[in-house]
Amino acid sequence: MDVMIHSSNFLLPNPAAAAAADNINGLTSRPRKYALIILNQRLPRMTPLLWSHAQLRVCADGGANRLFDELPKFFPQDDAVAVRKKYKPDVIKGDMDSVRTEVVDFYSNLGTAIIDASYDQDTTDLHKCVIYIHGLSDPQKSNLCILVVGALGGRFDHEIGNINVLYHFSSMRIILLNDDCLIQLLPGTHHHEIHINPSIEGPHCGLAPFGMPSQSTTTTGLQWDLQETCISSTEDILPQVHLPSSQLYFVLRYWM
Amino acid sequence: MDVMIHSSNFLLPNPAAADNINGLTSPPRKYALIILNQRLPRITPLLWSHAQLRVCADGGANRLFDELPKLFPQDDAVAVRQKYKPDVIKGDMDSVRNEVVDFYSNLGTAIIDASYDQDTTDLHKCVIYIHGLSDPQKSNLCILVVGALGGRFDHEIGNINVLYHFSSMRIILLNDDCLIQLLPGTHHHEIHINPSIEGPHCGLAPFGMPSQSTTTTGLQWDLRNTEMKFGGLISTSNTAKGEIVTVCSDSDLIWTISIKKA
Repeated sequence: MDVMIHSSNFLLPNPAAAAAADNINGLTSRPRKYALIILNQRLPRMTPLLWSHAQLRVCADGGANRLFDELPKFFPQDDAVAVRKKYKPDVIKGDMDSVRTEVVDFYSNLGTAIIDASYDQDTTDLHKCVIYIHGLSDPQKSNLCILVVGALGGRFDHEIGNINVLYHFSSMRIILLNDDCLIQLLPGTHHHEIHINPSIEGPHCGLAPFGMPSQSTTTTGLQWDLQETCISSTEDILPQVHLPSSQLYFVLRYWM
Repeated sequence: MDVMIHSSNFLLPNPAAADNINGLTSPPRKYALIILNQRLPRITPLLWSHAQLRVCADGGANRLFDELPKLFPQDDAVAVRQKYKPDVIKGDMDSVRNEVVDFYSNLGTAIIDASYDQDTTDLHKCVIYIHGLSDPQKSNLCILVVGALGGRFDHEIGNINVLYHFSSMRIILLNDDCLIQLLPGTHHHEIHINPSIEGPHCGLAPFGMPSQSTTTTGLQWDLRNTEMKFGGLISTSNTAKGEIVTVCSDSDLIWTISIKKA
């Protein structure tokens, strides 16, 4: 079974530091590429940091309102219009029932692509944005990582809909972040090696299966390691997870 | 299969009157409130007013102390704190500040240090405490919880896991945007919707294992013996069409509905 290697180097101060850390950790032969999706919740304080790492920035519908209204508040000394121009998304996509008209106009005048996907009422805005990014990237390259803000908290049906997107795209690296933690899916098809940077994350962490009970999970490096344990939820510190099984056991790790 | 009837009348100023009108329950519903350590939702004073027992889980007492007065900016902060005095502060006590413990214990709040127990969450400890006080024969107790959603994700799913552990109890997790509760698979469920205070956005999902068959009425996208699971279909961004939603499933489900802003 192949190994997937994980790190949170996108939480380091700048892309150069992240790439250097990736090299030091031996994490990847090509630097990780990041895309950022902004959903319609209050922006976490780390949003400008994540923006600086991303090569593609997509607002899902009302996420564009959040960017417009709240990004300038992170830079209170700077002119709000200048901040908005600097933090211009590449795309606004979704069913467009939340984004304000003046926000659409402001960003489209700056060159942002506006993609109305309201014909599709069967998928969430996050799902639509992941599809869009997936369509742009080379499927042979596994170095794309999608960072998402605004997916957790607020309306619970939105939150679980967003978690379900992780399950639907289980072969992609998609990380949901808020100010307190990040979560991502560890597919049961791989062994997982999670590199911890204690300066930026942890120690609190955990694992849980959402879709079905996990019959056998084994970990190393945890305060309370699992050994072929059947789990429904647990709290542990987690550098290494082995999920040997012919079935797909999906678990989430959440990392703070 | 017995029917469980649900309503959100605790979001009204006078839930007992509304319960009677809906023919919902005899005897009237009794409420307990648990406050966990997250920013207090704006509905906290309303829920407090309905509760006969108010319990702070550890750092939830900090939230009560610091944030309740902010919901009444015209009033004297100390007077507000004295009025909103919890009956109990319980938990492993690693978050609540000493001056907060002292303030409330001087007013008569019971302080229960449960730090010997590192295997259960603070919410679990508080539910056990409340369960121990109530008469198990009476099914009219409803535990309202604020601060269980959002923040650290392991806390959130640990709190959802408490709903599964106590699946025979009515426990409702609330924030400003929505409420969630468990609908045990052992019962048919009749959910009375009050459109003035909740909805229309709602959803249903099984946690921890797929649900083989769920049937609903009253939703925009009803389910008919439909399988649900993460990685497949779960019911999100659904809409309650009328004033009664029914749910019948082979497994425990989490039900969620949005709360209207005042």
